[in-house]
Amino acid sequence: MDRATRTRTPKRRTRLIVLALIVVSALIGWIIMWRPAIDAQATLPAFDQASIARGQRLAAIGTCAACHTVDPSRPYAGGRALATPFGTVHSTNITPDARTGIGQWSEAAFTRAMREGVSRDGHLLYPAFPYDHYTHLAQDEIRSLYAYFMTRPALDAPAQKNDMTFPFGLRPLVAFWNILYLKRDPWQPSAGQSAEWNRGAYLSDNLAHCTACHTPRTRLGGTDFKRHLDGGEAEGWYVPALNEHNPSPIPWTREHLAEYLRTGIAPDHAVAGGPMQATVENLRLADPADVEAIATYIHSYLAKAPQRQTRAGMPGSLPVPAADDPDLARMQLGHAVYANSCARCHEVGREATSGAALPLQKAVALYDPDPRSLIHIVRDGISPPDGEPARWMPAFGAILSDDQTGALAAYLRRYGAGQPQWTHIEDAVKKARQP
Amino acid sequence: MTTYHLRVNGRDHAVDTDPDTPLLYVLRNDLGLNGAKFGCGLGQCGACTVTLGGESVMSCLVPVSVVGERPVGTVEGLGTAQAPGALQQAFIAEQAAQCGYCIAGMMMRAQSLLEKNPKPSDAEIRKHMMPNLCRCGTHMRILRAVRRAADALPAKGAKA
Amino acid sequence: MTRALENPSRRRLLAAAGSLTMVFTIGPAWSQDETPLNKGKLPGSLEKEPWLDAWIRIDADNRVTVFTGKAELGQGIKTALLQVAAEELQVAPGRITLVTADTARTPNEGYTAGSHSMQDSGTALRHAAAQMRTVLAGLAARRFGIGAPAMTSRDGVFQAPDGRRATYGELLAGQQLHLKVDPSLPVRAPAGHTIAGKALQRVDIPAKVTGGPAYVQDLRLPGMVHGRVVRPPTPGARLLEVDMAAVARLPGVLKVVRDGRFLAVIADGEYRAVKAAAALARVARWDLPPTLPADTRPAPMVRAWPAKSNPILERGVPGSAGRSFTASYTKPFQLHASIGPSCAVAQLVKGQFTVWTHSQGVYPLRDALAELLGVDKAAIRCIHTEGSGCYGHNAADDVAADAVLLARAWPGKPVRVQWMREDEHGWEPFGPAMLTGVRATLDGAGKIVDWQYDVWSPPHNTRPGKAGNLLAATHLDKPFKPDTPTPSPQPEGSGDRNAIPYYVLPNARVVHQFQDTIPLRSSALRSLGAYCNVFSIESFMDELAQAAGVDPLAFRMRNLADPRAVEVVRTAAKKFGWDGYRKTPRRGRGFAFARYKNLAAFCAIALEVEVARETGMVRITRAVAAVDCGEVVNPDGVRNQIEGGIIQSASWTLLERVRFDERQILTRDWAQYPILRFNQVPERIEVDLIDRPGQPFLGTGEASQGPTAAAIANAIADACGLRLRDLPLDRARLRAGR
Repeated sequence: MDRATRTRTPKRRTRLIVLALIVVSALIGWIIMWRPAIDAQATLPAFDQASIARGQRLAAIGTCAACHTVDPSRPYAGGRALATPFGTVHSTNITPDARTGIGQWSEAAFTRAMREGVSRDGHLLYPAFPYDHYTHLAQDEIRSLYAYFMTRPALDAPAQKNDMTFPFGLRPLVAFWNILYLKRDPWQPSAGQSAEWNRGAYLSDNLAHCTACHTPRTRLGGTDFKRHLDGGEAEGWYVPALNEHNPSPIPWTREHLAEYLRTGIAPDHAVAGGPMQATVENLRLADPADVEAIATYIHSYLAKAPQRQTRAGMPGSLPVPAADDPDLARMQLGHAVYANSCARCHEVGREATSGAALPLQKAVALYDPDPRSLIHIVRDGISPPDGEPARWMPAFGAILSDDQTGALAAYLRRYGAGQPQWTHIEDAVKKARQP
Repeated sequence: MTTYHLRVNGRDHAVDTDPDTPLLYVLRNDLGLNGAKFGCGLGQCGACTVTLGGESVMSCLVPVSVVGERPVGTVEGLGTAQAPGALQQAFIAEQAAQCGYCIAGMMMRAQSLLEKNPKPSDAEIRKHMMPNLCRCGTHMRILRAVRRAADALPAKGAKA
Repeated sequence: MTRALENPSRRRLLAAAGSLTMVFTIGPAWSQDETPLNKGKLPGSLEKEPWLDAWIRIDADNRVTVFTGKAELGQGIKTALLQVAAEELQVAPGRITLVTADTARTPNEGYTAGSHSMQDSGTALRHAAAQMRTVLAGLAARRFGIGAPAMTSRDGVFQAPDGRRATYGELLAGQQLHLKVDPSLPVRAPAGHTIAGKALQRVDIPAKVTGGPAYVQDLRLPGMVHGRVVRPPTPGARLLEVDMAAVARLPGVLKVVRDGRFLAVIADGEYRAVKAAAALARVARWDLPPTLPADTRPAPMVRAWPAKSNPILERGVPGSAGRSFTASYTKPFQLHASIGPSCAVAQLVKGQFTVWTHSQGVYPLRDALAELLGVDKAAIRCIHTEGSGCYGHNAADDVAADAVLLARAWPGKPVRVQWMREDEHGWEPFGPAMLTGVRATLDGAGKIVDWQYDVWSPPHNTRPGKAGNLLAATHLDKPFKPDTPTPSPQPEGSGDRNAIPYYVLPNARVVHQFQDTIPLRSSALRSLGAYCNVFSIESFMDELAQAAGVDPLAFRMRNLADPRAVEVVRTAAKKFGWDGYRKTPRRGRGFAFARYKNLAAFCAIALEVEVARETGMVRITRAVAAVDCGEVVNPDGVRNQIEGGIIQSASWTLLERVRFDERQILTRDWAQYPILRFNQVPERIEVDLIDRPGQPFLGTGEASQGPTAAAIANAIADACGLRLRDLPLDRARLRAGR
């Protein structure tokens, strides 16, 4: 090669190296992102009743129906729209329908989905499906869940199109999320804790996936492991912290927490609303001992919340705004809304009729760090599941204007909870109007 | 007692009453309108349904003091016995009533659907009507009446 | 006659009319089958009120007024009776004003209940109207000097061939026909009917869809004030103290009333009354002893109540050999749950009480109120004014008692009392909890050779008559005691209504275990004992059919003799497609048949359900009903009643249960006592009417409730193998599987 040729080679070499690096990265990326399909299973194996029954109770703890059942006449047919910061995901059909459900999934395929978030045909599932929690389940529990789901009536329900924000819709990218957030090391009980506590921890962190909502997420939507049970958000609601930052104005006893988890209501505490409603609907079908264990575990964190002096202990009506309130006009509007719309029920105290309801100074939503949950409750109400008895708060979304709702929230924060005022109430009210 | 100015069925009214008086009682007792009815006072049955700013609401839950300038619509605004409106004609044609107590509320519930979605599916009608109770079991006829009214509407929709 | 005559000095046309009644004698035309019960009596309500002018009056300006002692409950009876009268009088229905139950103006027809209205009032009106027309025709013929067949008539006007005309009103010239109705006069042949039996739009619907005043709740009288009663928090509560003075000072409050533990406020505005009542409730202090059953499971709870054994059927010989099967079924307390809580207006002026009430029986109510107030019956007038559907003995009478007590406390002005939702749910007389037990023996050929049926039931009739059956009366300082109920005799029955199967059973014993005293108030809920008895019997028939290895329909047909019963069963099966039915996963079909009270309408129901065991959700995909109610006067009205009955029964069967603990009723609103909503109403309902012109009218308002319950239970069993015997078949029970 002559000198002229040798002076052009470094540029070309750089390009070649860059090209090689791209190819190698793509190869590595592809290796990371690609999963093989698992063969379709033509016939179902036999399942024993005990396994199926166990799977049913585990599915209740896992609250699978909360996402996978939309119409109670069509259990597990999927189709629920879940709004996430990355777009809207729809749950899929997990009945054993051969064409539109998991009817052709072997136990191996089911296990891989539960532990690694990979579908039978190899495509990656969005972590809205909490496989990063289910990954720690014992194999015999996965087997029981498989037995339960594969023996449900098959329903024809094709998957609905998702509406993801680019590029988060690109499924192969989830592989990188998994590198960061899918921790496959086996779950370990804590020495020095009771068997019930450990059972509760195992269930809560894994199958019940409480931390999926009750622990904050990082910008990329992974669990922020360093802030265990420090609160979060779900579907536009604030999800309360269950540790020392728990906002409840009245401390939780373990018994009341267990009662709340099983029934959605406990004395002196607000009823379960929003996404927690579906959770409770499932937990009431679970093994009561398991729910007690979860209560024991969670309560050990709740008990760290310091005793606070709050307005919750003060009986009687909520006060009229002080004449020197710097935000007087808004407070007066809020008080008027409260006095004329809410007080009729909420100043009576809870009785059998829904027309006699919890005094609002005890309602945890007023003590949340932001007004989102309160605004949702006011706008949407809290109503019982179809055909089942429970308490009912009506929806005020079409009754109160945005101004009235915002003023009400501000008034309740200051004169109901006696807490520092929320910021951006008006933004939260506007946002709550969006579907 | 305060004076409230309400726009009901297109007409302006001045009413002297307490600020916490639910709109239901104002409509019935101050304005003499019979359509909206007391069923539970808890927002659970819909017998009191009226439209407020185009949305169906439970008037037993609406204190008169929050209404403001938003227009209120009741069944009296849809037509009269001598000149019934399209929705009322549909209910009469289908004989969609037994005791009839829930019917005015049903109609004002349906009204907001037809104004927004003049060609609803049967499933959409069923879902939309859920907040309203009927104890006599007239549901099938009510659905047929709403269907009939929808079919009679032009595709772009209009006030019944 | 018990009503005050408005015009005691009527001239009687007895002689003139009487001579004409002999002209037409085309055989007897009694409008009901003669049975041992009514042998020798005038048909329908004529037995109680035989005078024609009590039923029909025609003014000089040719306006017709028809009076009925029955009340419009939303079942369309006003329209149907109008059709009967219009048909026989041969006038346009629009010419007739129908006056319903009013103690000052109409015949006393007791209660509008038990699906009797067409049989009682329809029959009486048919004959009265037929006779009136006969008399009028005779008068016209005499006036024209021609034979009756030469005349034509149209809408209340007779016309001679030469064009001379005479209206009904002109012929009577302001007199009324004080004649005893002669039921042997012919009525119009059904084949020639132009009004009865035809579709006629209900006369009350236009007002109801346009906001016209239609209900007692819509009454607005000059100077009217508003009352609200503060009921005790629990049935057994005792009032310890109450600071009435504070409440009396609230804005708008006119008076605070206390008599024993009856507490009420009267205010000048409705919402002010509501608020004052809430304030009064807050300042009342009560002792709350436990007075309700500790064990609320229906079977042990009902079994524990004392019962008097009352055999109602003893046929053949017990102890036949074969395979024996037993089953026990239960029903909880259930609510009427009227959409519009009960309401009444009462006014006391110069010693006269006027009460506007939606009570089903204005005459018995008047008697009870007279006893309550300690006044003469003549001092009280009860006018039926429509309320929302009552479905039996709801709080209509109780609120009337509240209203008269408050009218007495605030004389001169009308006092309107409206019950709140919690009042209605907590204090209305409940449909009682019931328990049934059945044992049957099948022989080798699968025939039922022995049948033993017991039904335990608290009272289904605690209606006033007696003041002690009014709620307020039992809360007064000097309380009235409720009547001790007695069972209604068969074939009507109460808890034992339809306890005797309509099937041919050579050896059968049926016992009504009547329970007259229980810790809660119970009374008539639509169909009374028939709902639970038909549920039990028709569920058990399916269980027997399965044991015999026979199709449930074929099994029933083997044991049905009445051809009308056979035809409804066949019709329902055919319209449903029973024989060709293909079972698909999660779905199943169920069938049931009953003849209401074994003497009223026949009803067979076939339906399909879809069951989701995981959630407990049951959906009725389609229901088919075949109904034979004799001659049909208003077909649409019958369809409406049957369809409504199916949906109401589906709600009772799938959802409804009054819940209580030892102290109080817990189901105080729709949230705690859900009823069927649009999402759970059947996808399709089809009603087939088998019209039988010339046959007596048979009541249909309560014919579909019992069969619907059993058809649902049978369909659930077919769909998922779960045989459930305890109502309601709610989501929790479907999930648990028992």
